[in-house]
Amino acid sequence: MSHETYLLSRMERGDSHTLAGYEAQGGYAALKKILSEGTPPKDVTDVVKESGLRGRGGAGFPTGLKWSFMPNEEQDSRTRYMAVNADESEPGTCKDRVLMERDPHGLLEGCLIAAWAMSLHGVYIYVRGEYRMSYRRLEEAIQEARAAGLIGKNIQGTDFSCEIHMHKGAGAYICGEETGLMESLEGKRGHPRPKPPFPAGFGLWGQPTTVNNVESIFNVPFILERGADWFKAIGSKKSSGNFLCCISGHVEKPGVYEVPLGTPASTILNEHAGGVWRGHNLRAWIPGGSSTGFLRPEIIDTPMDHESLKEVGSMFGTGAMIILDQTASVVHSALVLMDFYEHESCGQCSQCREGTQWLAQVFQRIHDGQGRMEDIDLLSDISNGMAPGKTICALADAAAIPTHSVIRNFRDELVEYVQAGGHTAVSKKRALPMETV
Amino acid sequence: MSDLTKQTSGEPSTIERVEITVNGQTVQARTDKPLIQACVQAEVEVPHYCYHPGLTPEGSCRICQVEVQQGKMPARVMVACRTPVMPGMVVNTETENAHDARRECLEFLLKNHPLDCPICDKAGECTLQDYSFAEGQGEGRSVEPRRKLEKRKDLGDVILLDQERCILCTRCVRFMEEVPKSPQLCVAGRGSHSTIETWNDTPLSGNYQGNLADVCPVGALTLKSFRFKARVWNLTKTASSCGECSRGCATTVEVLRKGEVTRIRPRHDEDVNGWWICDTGRFALDAFSLADRLVGTLLPSASRGWDATSVEDGLQIASDMLTTGDKPLIIASPWLTQEEGGELLALGQKINAQVAFVSTASNDLADDVLHTGDPGPNRRGLSDLGLKAMTAEEILHTASEHSTVLCIGERVGRLLGEGEAEGFNGLPTGARVLLFDCELPEAPTEGNSPIDIAIGLPSSVERVGHWVNIDGLRRNILQARPAPAGVWNTLRLLKHLHELLTNREVQS
Repeated sequence: MSHETYLLSRMERGDSHTLAGYEAQGGYAALKKILSEGTPPKDVTDVVKESGLRGRGGAGFPTGLKWSFMPNEEQDSRTRYMAVNADESEPGTCKDRVLMERDPHGLLEGCLIAAWAMSLHGVYIYVRGEYRMSYRRLEEAIQEARAAGLIGKNIQGTDFSCEIHMHKGAGAYICGEETGLMESLEGKRGHPRPKPPFPAGFGLWGQPTTVNNVESIFNVPFILERGADWFKAIGSKKSSGNFLCCISGHVEKPGVYEVPLGTPASTILNEHAGGVWRGHNLRAWIPGGSSTGFLRPEIIDTPMDHESLKEVGSMFGTGAMIILDQTASVVHSALVLMDFYEHESCGQCSQCREGTQWLAQVFQRIHDGQGRMEDIDLLSDISNGMAPGKTICALADAAAIPTHSVIRNFRDELVEYVQAGGHTAVSKKRALPMETV
Repeated sequence: MSDLTKQTSGEPSTIERVEITVNGQTVQARTDKPLIQACVQAEVEVPHYCYHPGLTPEGSCRICQVEVQQGKMPARVMVACRTPVMPGMVVNTETENAHDARRECLEFLLKNHPLDCPICDKAGECTLQDYSFAEGQGEGRSVEPRRKLEKRKDLGDVILLDQERCILCTRCVRFMEEVPKSPQLCVAGRGSHSTIETWNDTPLSGNYQGNLADVCPVGALTLKSFRFKARVWNLTKTASSCGECSRGCATTVEVLRKGEVTRIRPRHDEDVNGWWICDTGRFALDAFSLADRLVGTLLPSASRGWDATSVEDGLQIASDMLTTGDKPLIIASPWLTQEEGGELLALGQKINAQVAFVSTASNDLADDVLHTGDPGPNRRGLSDLGLKAMTAEEILHTASEHSTVLCIGERVGRLLGEGEAEGFNGLPTGARVLLFDCELPEAPTEGNSPIDIAIGLPSSVERVGHWVNIDGLRRNILQARPAPAGVWNTLRLLKHLHELLTNREVQS
């Protein structure tokens, strides 16, 4: 653990969530520097672009590039917004929560710098409904920052004004999809919008909008303070910086660990999380949240970055690793995931609405011992009908990818379930009793 | 002109068009419309459920997949209803990939569909059937139990919802929001538990509910009044116009086995009604009922009943009546066509008669969608021809100066009794009253019949001609079924009468 952990660095102090605690550790310096020097907004965006920061919400889209899609202010005088996606609900993911609960001012500073860079009129933070403490901490932080002249009109005595508003989600995974989030913010059902139009042209209330993940924005003050080159030097070639890895499942020390992008998954598992628990063997692992699929234990040395995981047929996603040991059933875990996707599909698109239900039903049958050999091909065909890119948003893909991964990587277990007659029969055969995550 | 027709009328001159290729044809496609509209322009049918040309595109059913190649990018399958038109696009709707994508989508849509087509009112005009026939595979691969939902959900007086048949295209939701601007329907629940519902099961209200059954691409929303009434392939469909107000919406009149009009549906006319029709027009089926029709000629008999005779004899008697006595008064119905109005004017000139039509009283149905509140469909046309508009009261007042009154046209008898007017009883006693109508007015309770001769006419579903609507647009009415035996075509009848009067003139 030789690397610097800048993201979590301030949290050692008990008062890291207060303005005093934040400022005592150099907080708001990057913002104040930009404001006092009057750094041109474009230069700020360029630094972020140059740093190679990629979105930490799942898709890994370059943050600076996203910012530069906002229309030129002189040509387009519409009100401009940013929505911060704090609706963290990808199964296995809990990194934004740590940041919001323990370092809310870091997020606010990032928001204000983004607001300066994109000449925003307002920022909305969409917080997952269950994250009550995050919401409360952020709310307190906003009050403190406003009282200190950091949010509101004429920030720090300059012409720069920016409001930060909060919104509480009501428990829908789909509201974490950027356009679903905007619909929800507008007070409508969280139905993702077809793209185009893209949010930068037609976002919140039809105005230019950028949607960024909490962790992405949280990185911004560090980049501005220390420079793009510093940031680029961390991590792998095309994936810069540290990321927060939430590791859960059958590990000794589940938690949120800060590591550079490109750190091998095995290092995170063994050196940070204490390895697979109870000295068990690894059965399967999910690299970046439930949508990224089940991978074989043989490739646990894969570096955790966008490129390497793409090579092994998966995705970096949110960087949330889920570890399954030898007692776990991949089929059962897949069933749990499919039930989740069925429950969370918004129901707009035919393939997703019917497909997620169908996948869950087929997995349930296989699990219950009513599976047929042809169901394995059927699962594959259903997933091919749902994704990629066949629906408005990526929820259908999120259900199809794990299904494909089970067929590709754990076909033997599917066959075992079908032949042996379901979960009960398979657990009897296994040396250790099966548990589920 | 109402808001709705303004939106859809004409093509503004500023519309930008670009050249694209659809299945090898070059098309000048509008850039303000989605790609699917360019396909329609090229007369290429792309399957669609959630897309409706009269509503905001949603892009959720995902069936309208076509293969598009743009620039140097490899060809991609995308939904035509949400893809903007770009110059130089090469669209192919028939590639294997496009068919595969549509086939997959259909399999999903049919997974929970109850397949109760044999008892479904939509069968025969259901696009889920049509596209499954065109694209789908012969057998379903799902062995899972189908979704159980409410099959007979009451949505008020007009519409019944079958939630199991619903494919959640949300056309109905958008229709209520966008056309009558009365959002009453919503999607409740999420994902595979989604259903169409009204808030708190409140019944639907408004004069445009019937359109929901038309916009529904499947048999989920059906008209209560049409339920189990007919198999749609037994209906003979004729393009015509609605006569329930001066908008004159384009309609399709659907007749079951040359008998009763079983259904009236809107027909697309960009400048008149868009895609819609109000419930007043849709459900005006009684106006065309074949029961109690006036057929042939009826003459009052001594026993307070009627003696029947042929139209030919009746017209002979009518010509006698019209030529005895002083200047006759001719009262037309605003349901007369331009052609009939013109013929009637000529006839009036021949016998030196005053010709007027009944100016119908406005009703309270006017709205800013379609209904004008003026029940006379050809008011504008008859006025343009030079017929004088008079209210029923004015007519009865004027009639006292005439000894012969000819009332002609569909519903004319009923119109004379409107409001304060007393109808035929209000006509001067001793005057000769001729009634050419589809029906006899209600019999007077006492005394002799005020009508001296009654001759049957065809109704507006049995005639051909033109009406001119409130905006001066001339539109067809067409014959949807033959008139009952013993009823002459109005034009033939007027021409014959004209001839008789000419002959009489020659003889004298």
